[in-house]
Amino acid sequence: MAGANGNVLTKIVHLPGSETIDVYRANGGYVALPEALKKSSDDLIDMVKRSGLRGRGGAGFPAGTKWGFVPKGTNKPVYLCVNADESEPGAFKDRLICAKDPHQLIEGTLISCFAIGSSRAYIYIRGEFAAEARILNAAIEEARRAGFIGKNILGSGWDCEVSVYRGAGAYICGEETGLIESIEGKRGQPRLKPPFPAVVGLFGCPTVVNNVETIACVPHIVTRGWEWFAGIGTERNTGPKLFGLSGHVNKPGVYEAPMGTNLRTLIEEFGGGVPGGRPVKAVIPGGASCPVLRGDEIDIPMDFDSLTRAGSLFGTGTPVIMDDTVCMVRAAWITARFFAHESCGQCTPCREGAGWLQRLLWRIETGEGEEKDIDTLLSVTDQIEGNTICALGDAAAWPARGFAKKFRDEFLQHIREKRCPFGGGSHS
Amino acid sequence: MATVTLQIDGRTVTVPKGTNLVDAGKQAGVFVPHFCYHPGLPVVGVCRICLLEIEGRPKLVAGCATPAEEGMKIITRSAKVKEARRAVMEFLLIHHPLDCPMCDKGGECTLQDYTVAMGPAASRFRFEKTTWPEEDVGGKLVLNKNRCILCLRCVNLCKDVAGVEEIAVLSRGEETYIGTIGDRKIENELAGNIADICPVGALTSKDFRFKSRPWELKNEPSICTLCAKGCNTVVGYHPRRREVLRITARENMDVNQWWICDRGRGQFRAIHAPDRLQGPSRRTEGKVQPVAWNAAIAAIAEALRGVLARGGPGAVGVIASAELTNEELYLTKTIFRDGLGIQNVDAPERSQSPVVYPKFTIEGDRNPNTRGARAIGVAPGTGGRTVRDMIQAASEGQVQALVFLRGGPLDTFGDPATVSRALDRAALVIVLDTHASPVAEKAHWVLAGATHVEKDGTYTNSAGRVQRVHRIFSISPESREDWRVIQDLGVALGVLPERAAEAEQVFARLAASTPAFSGMTYASVGDQGAPLTAASADVAVG
Repeated sequence: MAGANGNVLTKIVHLPGSETIDVYRANGGYVALPEALKKSSDDLIDMVKRSGLRGRGGAGFPAGTKWGFVPKGTNKPVYLCVNADESEPGAFKDRLICAKDPHQLIEGTLISCFAIGSSRAYIYIRGEFAAEARILNAAIEEARRAGFIGKNILGSGWDCEVSVYRGAGAYICGEETGLIESIEGKRGQPRLKPPFPAVVGLFGCPTVVNNVETIACVPHIVTRGWEWFAGIGTERNTGPKLFGLSGHVNKPGVYEAPMGTNLRTLIEEFGGGVPGGRPVKAVIPGGASCPVLRGDEIDIPMDFDSLTRAGSLFGTGTPVIMDDTVCMVRAAWITARFFAHESCGQCTPCREGAGWLQRLLWRIETGEGEEKDIDTLLSVTDQIEGNTICALGDAAAWPARGFAKKFRDEFLQHIREKRCPFGGGSHS
Repeated sequence: MATVTLQIDGRTVTVPKGTNLVDAGKQAGVFVPHFCYHPGLPVVGVCRICLLEIEGRPKLVAGCATPAEEGMKIITRSAKVKEARRAVMEFLLIHHPLDCPMCDKGGECTLQDYTVAMGPAASRFRFEKTTWPEEDVGGKLVLNKNRCILCLRCVNLCKDVAGVEEIAVLSRGEETYIGTIGDRKIENELAGNIADICPVGALTSKDFRFKSRPWELKNEPSICTLCAKGCNTVVGYHPRRREVLRITARENMDVNQWWICDRGRGQFRAIHAPDRLQGPSRRTEGKVQPVAWNAAIAAIAEALRGVLARGGPGAVGVIASAELTNEELYLTKTIFRDGLGIQNVDAPERSQSPVVYPKFTIEGDRNPNTRGARAIGVAPGTGGRTVRDMIQAASEGQVQALVFLRGGPLDTFGDPATVSRALDRAALVIVLDTHASPVAEKAHWVLAGATHVEKDGTYTNSAGRVQRVHRIFSISPESREDWRVIQDLGVALGVLPERAAEAEQVFARLAASTPAFSGMTYASVGDQGAPLTAASADVAVG
C-alpha cells in the first residue's frame, strides 16, 4: 500500500485532490480507524510503545510512553492536542500533511483519542497557516459526514469531536503547555512543570500533546503493525520520517525517508546537492534551535541519538543547508533575533539573555565587536541554559553557542577586520 | 498533618507536605532568595533567583515551584547555585537604571539588597538600556517600568486577591512590560498592597514617595481601626518630623494575612488632619475658649454631679463608642454604670456596605471594637435607654446631660433634626473626640482625645480577637490618651478610688472582672493578638 518509492506518510500528497476524503479513502484511508476501534486502549498504547515511535516535534520522547502517563480511570475528560504550530525556522513538514493529507492527520487523531480515552481533540494550528486551517476544517466536516467524527463513531458507541484552534502568531505556543494556555484563551506562555499535561493539562484535565507527524504515523502502525514500523530506521530511531530540506540545495522540499538516513545522502540525493556545486559550509540539522554542524560533519545519520552524540540535535529533522557564501555571524544573529522576538518574556534568563545574545551578535556582525564579546556571548548562553521554565531558553542559547564555537575563527575575523567579510552588517 | 523530612545545606528539617523549598529553607534557617514568590500569591516561578540544587538531579530547580519531598537533599551553597544566582542578578540588571539614589524604594528594595548580597559588581552589558516613561496607573500608584523585573506580583495581587484584571503583562520577549489596558486604571481598594510587595521601585505609593527615606522611619506595629476586621499594620512614624508618613500591611494569618485595604492605608492622613481637636475647650454663649485639663475635668465633674443631684441617674445619657479601646470602654462602664448608676449607657452602630474581594473583605461594621463593647457590657442597663432613646429623651428634656465619648456627624446618633434639637436643649453636652464634628460644635465641653497611634490599648475585632495598639507619639503636649481622660473624670466624680499609671493596669482590671477577657494580659495578646477567652466570649456576645 506504499506509494511511489515506498512512501507512506507522503503517499498521496502529490495526487490531485489529495486533501479530499475520496482520494484519501481510494488510497487506503480510514481503514485503520475501524481496526483500531476493535482493539483495547491498552493494546493500542502497547502497539505504539513497541513501534518505537518517538515524538516528531523535536524532543523525541516515546509517544506510547507519553500516552501511558494519562491516569487510568480518571473521572475527568481527557484531551488530545495535536500540535500543528510548526513555527521553527526551517521546519515545514507538518504543513505538508495539514495541506495535502489532512485526513491522515484526522484518522491518526481519532485513533490516538481512542487509545488515550479521549473524546475531544484540538488541532492547534499556527496562525499563519490560514489556508491549512481551512483545509483541515473542510476535511473535518467531510469526516463528520462520513461518520468518523461525532457520536457513536462507526457504531462503536464511542464519541469523538475534533476541532481546529488557530494560534495568533507566537512560536512559544508550540511549546506544549504554552499551547494549552493558548487554547484556554490565555496569554501563550509555558507552565511550570510538574504537573505535566498528562496529569494536569488542558482545562486542568489529563492531556496529551502530540506533533502532527507523530499522529500521522499512528494509522500506519495500526494497519501495518508495530513490527513494520520498528523495522524501519535504526534500533532506537524507528519509522519513516519527513525531512524538510531548505537553504542551499537544488531541490528544497519535504522528503520521506527512514529515520537515520545520512544527512549527506539527504542533501545530495534528495536535495540534488548544492547549487553551482558549491561546498556545504554548515547545516542546521533540525530547525533553528539545533546547534549548527560544519560541512565536514554531515556524514551523520539523521536521528535523535546520533545528532545528540554529535553535540547537536535532531529537532524536527529539517536541515537548513548553507553554502560558503553564508556569513555565520549573520546566520547566528538571524537565529538569535528570532528567539529573542519569540521569547514569551516570563522568565528572566530567556527574556534578558536572548535579547543580549542578539545584540552581541549584531555588534560582531557590524564589525564593532571585541574578542571579549565572544566570551560574553558564550557565558550568556551558559547562564540561560537549563535555568528557564521551558526549553525556549535552551533553544535561544544552543544555536548562538554552536555558531560561536564551530565558527570562532569567522567571528574573530569580523572582529579583527572590523567588518563583515561577506559584506553584511545591515539589517535586511 | 502529613510531614516530610529533608536536608537543606546539611540541616535536617521537617515541614508539612506540600511546603515549597523556599519556605522549607526558611524553616531550616537557610535563606533562599526570591522575587516573584510571595506566600499569599500563586506561584509563577518566573524570576529564577530561587534556583537551587537537589542532590541527584542534573538541573537546578526553582525552589518556589518545587515541593519538599521526603529525603530530599537540597544544596543552596554550591558554586553552581551561586553562579545561577549571579547570572539572574546580572540579567535583571542589564536594563535596570541603577537609580537607587533617587528611587523611592531605596533602603527597602529586594533588588538592591540582593545586588549587594549576590549580584555582580559590574555589568558586562555594553548596550543602550531600554527606557520607559513613568506613568500614573491609578490606585495611588506610580509605575516606573525601567525598574520593573516582571515578577508579576502586582498582576497576581489584582487577579487573585482582588479578583480584577486591572494590570496585566503585555507584549513579549524583552519588550514585555506591566501595564494597564487602554484608559483603564487600577481601581480596586487593595491596590496599595502592590507598593508593599513590589520587590523593586517599579510601583510606588503616590502618598509616600519622596516624603522620606524608609530608614528615617520608626516602624511600629499597630492595628487599623477603620472597620471591625482589625487589620494588622505597620505605622511608619518619622520621629524628627513627628509625623506618621505611611501605614503598611503587617502579616497576621489570623486576621488580614498580608494585606490591608487602601482606606486603612490612607488613615495616616486623618491623624494629622487640620481639624484635629487641641486640648479641652468650653463653649459659652457661642464662644469657644480653651481650658486647662485639670480645670476642665473638675468643672465637667461638678456640672455632671449637679445634673445627677437634680435629676438622678436617668437625667444623664452616656453615648459611648465602639471606636474606643477595650480599656476605655471598661472605664466607661465602671465609672458611669457601676459607679454612678447611670443606666443610659450605649454606643451607636456605624455601618457601611462591606466590600468583598475574593480573598479580602472590607467589613461593613465601621467600628473597630463592637465585639469589645459587647463583651464588656457597654449597653443600656436595667430600664436604660438606647442611643436613639437618649437622643429622643434629650430632645424632649427628660435627659439633661449628654456625654459623647466620640462625636461625629449628627446622623450617627439618629434623625439629624432630633439630634440637633437634643443638643440644643440639653443643659450639658460633653464630647470627647479626636476631630471636630457637628456634634462637637454644639457641645458645652470638648475634650481632645487621641487617635489609635497616640495611645496604648486593645481592640476586639469582629472575630473576637483582642489586638494591641501602642502610643507611638503624642500629637501635641496638650493631647491626652482617652483612657486617662475618662479615668480622670471618674476620679473627679469620686467613683474611681485610684488612677492606673498605664493602660496595661486597666486591662488587668478588665481581665480580672470580665469573663470574656479572663486570664488575658498584654503579654498574652502580644503583637499578633489573642482570641477572647472562648468559654465566656459567646455568652457575653450573646
